[in-house]
Parts: sequence; C-alpha cells; structure tokens
Amino acid sequence: MLSCAPMGAELRRYFEDIEAGEEYESPGRTVTETDIVIFAGLSGDYNVLHTDAEFMKRSIFGERIAHGLLGLAIQAGLFARATQAYATLAFVGLRWRFKGPIKIGDTIRLRARVVSKQEASKPDRGLVTVARTIVNQRDEVVQEGETDLLVERRP
Amino acid sequence: MSAPAQQAYLEDVEVGRVVETPAMTVTETHVQIFEALTRDWAPERAAVPDLLPLCLVIGLGWRAPHPPLVVLAFLGFEWEFVRSLRVGDTIHSRARIVTKRAMREGGVVIEEREVLDQRGDTVQRGRFSFLVARRGAG
Repeated sequence: MLSCAPMGAELRRYFEDIEAGEEYESPGRTVTETDIVIFAGLSGDYNVLHTDAEFMKRSIFGERIAHGLLGLAIQAGLFARATQAYATLAFVGLRWRFKGPIKIGDTIRLRARVVSKQEASKPDRGLVTVARTIVNQRDEVVQEGETDLLVERRP
Repeated sequence: MSAPAQQAYLEDVEVGRVVETPAMTVTETHVQIFEALTRDWAPERAAVPDLLPLCLVIGLGWRAPHPPLVVLAFLGFEWEFVRSLRVGDTIHSRARIVTKRAMREGGVVIEEREVLDQRGDTVQRGRFSFLVARRGAG
C-alpha cells in the first residue's frame, strides 16, 4: 500500500495488536545527491566518502556514497510508510550493520518483520523487537539490524 | 591514493584515549530539516527524533581537537536511547576507543560513545565499529 500511515492517535496499533511474525515492506525511495548534501550540512559530517567526487572515483566504491546514518534515518521514515503507526512510547535501542554502500540514484526499500514481543517492567507497555533490512534496486542488502521499541498497551 | 594530512591511521589509534567533542544546541531548524529529509517524525511537539542526536554527534566528532580516523567503512553499531531530548537541549559526546585489531586491509576499531546533555546526563550511548586504514595502505 502506497498511502501514508494514518497519524491519528485512535489509529495507532497497541502492543496487543502487533503479532510476532508480521512483515511489512515499504515503498521505494531513490537516494539523491541532494539527500547526501543536506545530510552532510545537517550533521556536519563532511567525510570525503560523502562529499569529494574526485577522491571517491579512485576509491573501492568508485563514487560518493551516502552516510550510513542517512540510510538508517531514511529507513525510519520508510517504516512509517510501510505500516500503520505503532503506539510507540520510546525507541529503546538498536543493533545495526552496514553491509554495502548506498550510491547516488540507488532506490532503497525497507523490509521489516516483528521478531519478538516481551513484557516490560511497567504493565502499561511491552517491548517489540523488529528486524529490518534495507535492500537496493538489485535486492542487495545494504543495511540490516534490529530495533527495540516500547509500545503502549491498549488503555 | 593519499588522504589529507592530519588524520589518524590505525597505527595512530591509542586505545583508552577519551575524546570529547564541542557542544551543539539542538534547534527546531535541525528537527525540521531532519524530518523533511527522512520523514522520521518525533511523536510530539518540541521532541527531537531519536536518531537526530546520533547524526549530530558524528559531525561533532570531526570538530574534536584530535585528528579524525581514516575510516574506510562504518561497519555497524549498537545503540541505546536512554532518554529523549527536547528542542533547546545542548548535546556533546564523549568517545573512547576500547579495542583495535589489525587486519590485512586495515583494522577494526571499536569505540564506545555517549551523548550527554547540558546537565552532563547521558541521553544515548553505544559502541561503534569502524574499518580504519593503515598508514601507507590507503
């Protein structure tokens, strides 16, 4: 489904509504030179990997590549477009691996799967772990990892 | 291929040395640009998207008074979000290299990093793994 996830609180999915094994796939998003330039300006990370086209011609990548964290940040936005919003109280943590470069013009999409649900210390919430894979237009995995989210239980 | 001067190769990495970055105030402008770029929204007004402070401290690392690592690749990281930030909070980060391991093409450097707010409280923390170039091998 290509429509935006509903933002209204009444449409958010609570801990009870989410099932282990659920899978989502986001729409694609083409990563542009503009994305990389804006991210360099925002973050202050002007590493030559992302900003020096001439230097990068002679590197193993052959051209500038996107910041790893730009890919991670874009997938967070893609998750919101892949499924209805969770009633998330907090983003607790993540474990993440950068497997390959995202180059200018690459189109990435997110594949996500709920791997576990666990009780949390407080009774009004639970911990949801989501495995996430970012793939490019050739279906190559460029980033992958797991995120832990604290999600509200139905009031 | 020669890298710019004043960069730290694997041989220059001192395990255990602590590097602190300058600080930066997280503004509404940072949040707006981040949200427009990523479509990752903070859940409430004046809240800061959780991934934004992480992105900002990587950039602040380049302003620390030590030569930056010659990073060939960012391999991965584990990260814990201890507490959310609000617009107007001022963050900096403190990093310490905990291990380095030489390999054929360079070496893996593991760094522990934390993000602190203006009160000195830890708001995010974790471990980064980088592939770093060896001197003369780049």
